[in-house]
Amino acid sequence: MDLGLNIASAGMLAEQVQEDQISNDLANASTPGFKASSAVQQSFGSLLLQNSANGQTIGSIATGVNIGKGQTDLAQGPMQQTGRPLDFAIQGAGFFAVKTANGTQYTRNGQFSVSDKGQLIDQYGDDVLSQTGAPIAVGAAGTVPTSALGVFNVTKPTQLGNNNFSGAAAGGRASGQLYSGQLEGSGIDPIQEMVQMESALNAYTAGQTTIGTISQTMQESAQSVAQVP
Amino acid sequence: MLEGLYSAGAGMEAAQQQLSAVSNNISNENTPGYQAQILGFHDLLYTTDNDAPSNALVGAGAGDSTLGFSQAQGSLQQTGNPLDLALHGPGYFQVRQPDGSTGLTRNGSFQLNSRGQLTTNLGMELVPPLTLPKGTQPSQVSISSDGTVSVANQKLGQIKIVQVSAPDKLLPQGNSVYTVTTASGPAQAARGVTMQQGYLEQSNVDLNTEISQMMTAQQAYNMGSRAVQMEAQLGQIAATLK
Repeated sequence: MDLGLNIASAGMLAEQVQEDQISNDLANASTPGFKASSAVQQSFGSLLLQNSANGQTIGSIATGVNIGKGQTDLAQGPMQQTGRPLDFAIQGAGFFAVKTANGTQYTRNGQFSVSDKGQLIDQYGDDVLSQTGAPIAVGAAGTVPTSALGVFNVTKPTQLGNNNFSGAAAGGRASGQLYSGQLEGSGIDPIQEMVQMESALNAYTAGQTTIGTISQTMQESAQSVAQVP
Repeated sequence: MLEGLYSAGAGMEAAQQQLSAVSNNISNENTPGYQAQILGFHDLLYTTDNDAPSNALVGAGAGDSTLGFSQAQGSLQQTGNPLDLALHGPGYFQVRQPDGSTGLTRNGSFQLNSRGQLTTNLGMELVPPLTLPKGTQPSQVSISSDGTVSVANQKLGQIKIVQVSAPDKLLPQGNSVYTVTTASGPAQAARGVTMQQGYLEQSNVDLNTEISQMMTAQQAYNMGSRAVQMEAQLGQIAATLK
């Protein structure tokens, strides 16, 4: 089978993954503290071509594109004033910590509320943690001082979904500033996402055209190479 | 194949929920004691489980959840009606719902029924019930800031105001009435709440916030729809490969 077919289809698959990620980013245009993800495209290993008659090296040929592990863009989202006392935002580095059934996880989405026990919880009812890892009591007036919330440095944060990241907390309070009555908006850049969406579509179409051309060539060779003029 | 089609769809769904909440809030802008509904958003799970040979995590879109009800104080409007009561501070009146269960409301527009009991404008009696002597005219009723009801200088009882630990988790029953849930915690006597006779608390809907949220939701919806279009186009291209 022609190598070019594989290369072209690998390219199309890579563009499709990118398009899927863009769809997810755009779907989260309203999710506070959301961080956009992007796939890393890298080339597969190259093959060394040799002249079959004399064994002389001709050069290398690339074998297409591989989709590497995705990256999360942790850039600061815009701060949005909500006035809701239990909305919190971090400006700068750091994550809120929440105690889930699967251990401590980290989030930048500060849309919190109060539990029946009078403690600060996230959208899933998990306790938000202080810097010492303890639950946080909500005051009688329905407010929490920002100093009560923990801001953690997290090494290698990985998106898990449901607002949360996994990762390991590295000691100490992170440098980010905490604000109440504000939310960090979604970190996506709609214009950039739209442009990437178009360019991924074009690359996808180019892959399709390549496959069409190669298959035409193959058809040609199957029909006419052996024909005696 | 084309997971993005579904994640974009999920995002549109979340934006639509936001639009519904906003339109509900806006239409209740003039409902006394109405508390604006607030939605929260979150992303969905990430997987590498797609047919492309890749390690890239792809998310499944976005979802929404009810974050609760705005606890902001609504503005007080003078009505001059002696049976109108406005609450100042966090708390609720207790009323008997038609099914016999106790509901909580901040809508203090009360009236007298044929038995002389204080009821809401939908006929739900106060809990505990408060009966006024036969023939009492509303203008004779005086209610102090702590809820003590007296007619002709004679104390007849006190209107009880309750609070729950997590008002965001109350279950709305319509007509500005909520019921307690396990997540909200039981109703307990409220502290620091005062009543003002002859006033109604207006809804705490802030039109500016609602309109800007509506525009944001609409943009999110549009972007989701563009993404769906794009994914559909990918599918079409893949289908015409030859």
